[in-house]
Amino acid sequence: MAKKDIVLQVKRLKKAYGPTTIVDGFDLQVAAGEAVALTGRNGAGKSTVLRCIVGADRPDEGTIEVLGTKMSEANPEIRRDVATVIDDLDFFPDLSVVEHLDLLARAHGLEDPDDLVDEVLEEVQLVPQAGQLPATLSSGQRRRLALATAFVRPRRLLVLDEPEQRLDVEGVAWLGKRLKEELADGLAVVLASHEPSLLEAIGARQVRLTR
Amino acid sequence: MSDRFGPIGQVDERQLRLLVRDWRHGRADRSLLQALSDAYVMVFAVILIGAMLVSSVMQAQRLGATCDSAECLASRGLIPWAAVAACLAFALVLARMFGPILASVAEGFWLLEGTVDRRRLLRWRLFGAVTVALLVGAGLGAIFAALVGSGGAVILTWALAAGLGCFGLVALAAAEQGDERRWLVTLLVWLTGAVAFVALGLLVVISAGLVAPGPIATLGLEFAYVVAGAGTVLGLVATALAWSRMNKIRRQRLVAGGSLVAGMQGAAFALDLALVRDILVETRSRARGHVRPTRGAGRGITALIMRDVQRLWRDPKPLVFWLGSMLVPYALQALGVGQLSPPLSALVLMGALIGFCNSLRVLTRTKGLQRCLPFGPGQIRQAAMAVPAVLAALWGLAVTPAFLGLVGGRSVDIGVGLTASLITAAAGLLAAVRWVTAKPANYGGPLVATTGFGALPPGLLFALFKGVDIVALVTLPIVLGLPSWVSLVIAVISFMALRSGMDQQSLLEQSEEQRRLLDEEKAKRAGLGGTKVKVQRKR
Repeated sequence: MAKKDIVLQVKRLKKAYGPTTIVDGFDLQVAAGEAVALTGRNGAGKSTVLRCIVGADRPDEGTIEVLGTKMSEANPEIRRDVATVIDDLDFFPDLSVVEHLDLLARAHGLEDPDDLVDEVLEEVQLVPQAGQLPATLSSGQRRRLALATAFVRPRRLLVLDEPEQRLDVEGVAWLGKRLKEELADGLAVVLASHEPSLLEAIGARQVRLTR
Repeated sequence: MSDRFGPIGQVDERQLRLLVRDWRHGRADRSLLQALSDAYVMVFAVILIGAMLVSSVMQAQRLGATCDSAECLASRGLIPWAAVAACLAFALVLARMFGPILASVAEGFWLLEGTVDRRRLLRWRLFGAVTVALLVGAGLGAIFAALVGSGGAVILTWALAAGLGCFGLVALAAAEQGDERRWLVTLLVWLTGAVAFVALGLLVVISAGLVAPGPIATLGLEFAYVVAGAGTVLGLVATALAWSRMNKIRRQRLVAGGSLVAGMQGAAFALDLALVRDILVETRSRARGHVRPTRGAGRGITALIMRDVQRLWRDPKPLVFWLGSMLVPYALQALGVGQLSPPLSALVLMGALIGFCNSLRVLTRTKGLQRCLPFGPGQIRQAAMAVPAVLAALWGLAVTPAFLGLVGGRSVDIGVGLTASLITAAAGLLAAVRWVTAKPANYGGPLVATTGFGALPPGLLFALFKGVDIVALVTLPIVLGLPSWVSLVIAVISFMALRSGMDQQSLLEQSEEQRRLLDEEKAKRAGLGGTKVKVQRKR
């Protein structure tokens, strides 16, 4: 595999919370157009690894590089290239669903994002909720909005923590189809998931974490 | 279980209430007296601070009573008007926000689901709400009347006006709650708020000599009699109405107030006032539910700023408080306490600007949303500060005449006055940013043992002073008569620190990262082996 194709490189990652080591000596390489799924029991360290990859947590040892740049959560270039859907996504209480997507698209440089935003809203089936404020959304709708935030902006790497959570059967099927298309376009995907049908749909390489 | 509950199978609402009280008392592991004796340091502190406050109020009352200038007479007549009107508006806002009749989530699930008579179960909530309104209103009315130097009888009159007025309006809010109506209470909030602003504005124009004081002082007292009388009648009638309508209040409406109180209590125990505000904003947002979507404007970082402008257009209510805060420096000058105007006005401005910092709050409380944007944290903070900064600058220009001494107090030249007003505006802005972005006390770090309160994080008490600390740092040099560049330098340093978002946790993480890199470098060098250079030294 050529070096330029590698989007994410994790070397000897170690993370502990107090005396409990969650993950130690973890290596991972993800190329463009490749999906890697972290699997394992609850508490195996999947979310911890993902949080380190997106910079939400600082690893105790090891290095993480995104497109050859050392991971720094505050680096604007990394923020531009990495789209994440993990549990710490917050919403503006006074902006509606469609306004969130419009703001993100514009912030990423799209001058007239209406078409893209409408398309993504329709995909995540939130058109009827377009004017709703986030506080009034159900947990499943909030999940769909979180996923929409990742698809309404440019991205080279997509990091998802159990994206199937709170999605109905049709939602999981849509996600699988969408990720497959994204992979074909050269996106790299790292996800933690307990949903075999999703992993099968996107043909993810599975990395099992044990502790 | 005691024998108060009567024969089994004949449980009514009173018995249910007693049963719940019995459970609660049964689970308490300390009496109130024991809890107070454990927290004796805090009790002493409260008594000491209370005594200091009472002494300060009495001293101010004695000083104010000796003043007989036109400004003092006008303030003696008008400030109680403004204070009582503000108290009434505040009581209504709180009553509308929490209910005023409320029930906890547990009560809603376990008790209100059944075929109970809610009136019998919740009557003490109604009586509690109106009693608290009466007592707190009376206390605040008395304090404000005393602060402007009124005599004993006048203080009592204003105390009765504020207390009975609050009693009447909270009872009215309870009656309206039973009919699921909100418009009347909302209208009264705006009316009483407008009276407060008009009274302050009138004080300013009288002090500026634009209007003669006239019979303001005696009119004020007549107004107090009217408010007290109307409050009493309204309170009694509305309490009876609220009582008769109590069974009609929906369970969801009762529980909403209870869960709001519970959430706010949790945040208040951690002294995290910003979180308390988050809960209120979220509740308001849930009540609103839906907005008419608007298309954004600009791209890149401009899109963030333009969204804040659009927010202002959509919800201009915070502008009312911002406009009202402009009266404060004028009122302080008129009262002859212009020297304290920079810190006091900056504190009020801080409160007014917090309402414009919603996007800054959301973008800094967690990093999830910030990470979605292709900008550095400093850029994001700066963009989110843009609208509040423009409003602060406009505020600074609007209050410059007050700092020039045009409405009383010492006159200064335009350069000095303009600098002082802009520094005050900067202090208010920076304090609002600090208040909104400061991290809450960290319970995950080292804790300090305290008497009566167990282990607490060392930064917990400082959480109460966030924002106030910046105001003090930036404005006290002006109060102390130091050159204005001292305040400017402090303001610039504060801005840099707030823009970078430096906090204890990230500084700690940065230092750990540096140490780790150093260790890695050392290990790498050690790994080279065998090629150690030995420098020859002369003995």
